[in-house]
Amino acid sequence: MNASKVIRDVKKNANGWFWISLMGAAVILLPIFSILASLFKPTNENWAHIQEFLLKDYALQTVWLLLGTGIATLIVGTGLAWLVSAYDFIGKRFFRFAFILPLAIPPYIAAYTYSTMFDYTGVVQKTLRDWFGYTLPPDLIDIRSLPGAILIFTLFLFPYVYMITRSFLERQSGAYIENARLLGRSPAAIFFRVVLPMARPAIIGGVSLVLFEAVSDYGVTSYFGVHTITTAIFQTWFGLYDADSAVRLAAFLMAGIVGAFLIERLLRARRRYSASTSKSRPLVQKRLRGLGHAAALLICGLVVAVSFLIPVLQLIAWAWLTYQDVLTAQFIELTFNTLRVALLATAIILVISTTAANVNRVQRNRFTMILTKLLTAGYSIPGAILAIGVLTLFLWLDQQVIAQFGTGQLVLSMTLIMLIVAYVVRFMATGFQAIEAGFEKIGHHYMEASRMLGHGLTKTFFKVDLPLIKGALLTGTVLTFVEIVKELPLALLLRPFNFETLATKTYQYANDEMIQEAAVPALFIIAVSLLAVAVIHRVGERTER
Amino acid sequence: MKNRLLSTALIAVLSAGLLAGCSSGETNQQSGSEPAKTESKELNIYTARNYAVDKKLYENFTKETGIKVNVIEGKAEELIERIKREGQNSPADLFITVDGGVLNNAKVNGILQPVTSATVDQNVPKELRDKDNQWIGLSSRARVIVYSKDRVKPEQLSTYEDLATDKWKGKVLVRSSTSLYNQSLLASLVELNGEQKAEEWAKGIATNLGRAPEGGDRDQAKAIAAGQGDVAIMNTYYFGQMLNSKDAEEVKVAKQLGVFFPNQSTTGTHINVSGAGLVKFSKNKDNAVKMIEFLTGTESQALVSKENFEFPANPKAETPELLKSWGTFKAQQIDFAKLGEHNKKSLEIMNKVGWK
Repeated sequence: MNASKVIRDVKKNANGWFWISLMGAAVILLPIFSILASLFKPTNENWAHIQEFLLKDYALQTVWLLLGTGIATLIVGTGLAWLVSAYDFIGKRFFRFAFILPLAIPPYIAAYTYSTMFDYTGVVQKTLRDWFGYTLPPDLIDIRSLPGAILIFTLFLFPYVYMITRSFLERQSGAYIENARLLGRSPAAIFFRVVLPMARPAIIGGVSLVLFEAVSDYGVTSYFGVHTITTAIFQTWFGLYDADSAVRLAAFLMAGIVGAFLIERLLRARRRYSASTSKSRPLVQKRLRGLGHAAALLICGLVVAVSFLIPVLQLIAWAWLTYQDVLTAQFIELTFNTLRVALLATAIILVISTTAANVNRVQRNRFTMILTKLLTAGYSIPGAILAIGVLTLFLWLDQQVIAQFGTGQLVLSMTLIMLIVAYVVRFMATGFQAIEAGFEKIGHHYMEASRMLGHGLTKTFFKVDLPLIKGALLTGTVLTFVEIVKELPLALLLRPFNFETLATKTYQYANDEMIQEAAVPALFIIAVSLLAVAVIHRVGERTER
Repeated sequence: MKNRLLSTALIAVLSAGLLAGCSSGETNQQSGSEPAKTESKELNIYTARNYAVDKKLYENFTKETGIKVNVIEGKAEELIERIKREGQNSPADLFITVDGGVLNNAKVNGILQPVTSATVDQNVPKELRDKDNQWIGLSSRARVIVYSKDRVKPEQLSTYEDLATDKWKGKVLVRSSTSLYNQSLLASLVELNGEQKAEEWAKGIATNLGRAPEGGDRDQAKAIAAGQGDVAIMNTYYFGQMLNSKDAEEVKVAKQLGVFFPNQSTTGTHINVSGAGLVKFSKNKDNAVKMIEFLTGTESQALVSKENFEFPANPKAETPELLKSWGTFKAQQIDFAKLGEHNKKSLEIMNKVGWK
């Protein structure tokens, strides 16, 4: 490809949308590139040690963790999404909403909660001991293990898959599933032969969010003694005192994950379902009866209990013990701080990811595809490493400011802007995946019709596309907002002076193994997230009518 | 030219964000801007100690001196990286953290400068200070052996080295090698016994474990109560916290356990020091030194010891009953800088012998 062709291409496509997304992309991509650049730096003497002892075993455990978590969330998330969108049963409206709730609980808090509940001083063993005189064999239930980590990630991350898949199924799949039903297919056959292939983009969007989160997690894995690439990254940084090698390791991780999703995207592109018929109507729900009804209720009840009710009740019980010492007027400020950064960052993410998803859809070439995949790469590496990338960018910007104005002090990197940009870089993925799934769902036909009838790209977007992707937009908002409320590593490393959030407050106690004290701010995080989920759920219900 | 254009464009993009987000930043804009000679009324601390008692101390300091204290809390290595990258523009005046190895790492990274203060020299004994006074010890914890009072007699215990012998097969509990506390303990043994002996020791510990390492220090104590082992290596201050926990079950567990200070007749018990380093490009140097003097004074030291169950660095400070009940003990006499120097080695050893 020669230069003039590139320029011609750019000229052809250079509308407002393109430039806005390019500018957004620049801010997001610079930190990511600054991390990827470390792949090309020469290695130091620690690298051999890392390769020999940290990589092999840790890579293997990472694969097991991802495989286990991926399959389990796929089954739970899609299964439940299918259940609530294709069937009707008692309490369905409640469960439809309740399956989102586990998102409100940060996985590392859930990990502490469950392992403490099941250890020697925890409520389970204590009850058995004091009331039944029975001592559990200590190795029987071992939450702090690889299977335990898979369990925690599944219970508290499956809503990603559930939400994105459900919003796809409820809106789109009616005609196909009803046809299959009419043709006498069994429910199982419909699920595997019709639903799964059709919902593939949505499911993959959801599962990839789960995998991103699991692979970059440090809180759960380090506490459970599970060794993943991410724990190796921190061993390198905190143990070998080698931040450069840590960043390099993260760059490999990022390249691997982005590569995997690019390959998936290329494979999928060949069988694109431009599924929109002239009428896409919601699915008619089948009423469950008898045994099936009971089984559905049992499963739904169980999921809500273990993934939300039980841990929250335990946290409340602990908070009851400690709130007098922990709870202060400062919590008002903490809550306000948390809300402020989360709202601002969520808004920015939604604007950029909608723009980028739209550009990607309209222009549909390799360049925009790779660009948009890179935009979401910030989610695939540990937050603390990404923080280094963002810090590097901001300090460089500050250098320019200082060189221009000679103030001799850091400006941008001492404000909340740095943290907010970091949130945008990290959580672009949650917004983007949801919105991309929404665009996939509506296909091209409406947009093409609108353009044919003389609307411009922008007018088409606001008049035609936006109302159609409203559901996906709401999903993206919830996912992103709740993620930011829970987020810890970026807030810890990039905050300005005297700035605390609910998450950093939780860390202050949890880091010191004081789970009873940490319960108080953790409950605040859950409450703020719940409020957001509830508000958006209401908005969603209303717009659907 | 092109570069210039790019940077200008980027600044433009980001200053748009500035308008939206700067409301909280502006209160801090002034910090660190004045040169040291004019009398500034601010002090900027980057700390990896996230304890409630530290905040209390900063408040007391402000009350006493009128100097406003600005704080960023984080993880030690991350804060070092931040200060390093901020370079000469860094607003940080003091860097505070736990662990001598990390403090030394800060020094090696060239982000600290010597503290000159007769008061500090008087408050803190030499062995708890960096040899160039680039960091000053504030408090310490001992990494001790706790044991089941039912199954182990204290006479059976002697040294860390002893825990690696066949006698304790399947009975030892310790957390994972990702813990800095374990890395520092092993680093101290590398210094005292040499690399080969230290490796044999780590191997012995790894084979004697009652279960694969998991959880934190407190979880090891609970595992003794659950019968997964008889002895655990843990920090004194976690033990103190358990005894004073709001959860009655944790108190019950702690009461079943005894604390043993190992290596009393040999090299001494391993201690971990918390310390404050004066940042190289500090803009409020006088205030920073004032703060170190304040933190090492007997009053502050007694408060830390009382609320956090740490041993005060200032020997004149009052200690709480619990610490008194453990009696005095002989601590390892090694240069903390060595912990930092050997940290890498100790991590390599742990990876090699399979201490997960």
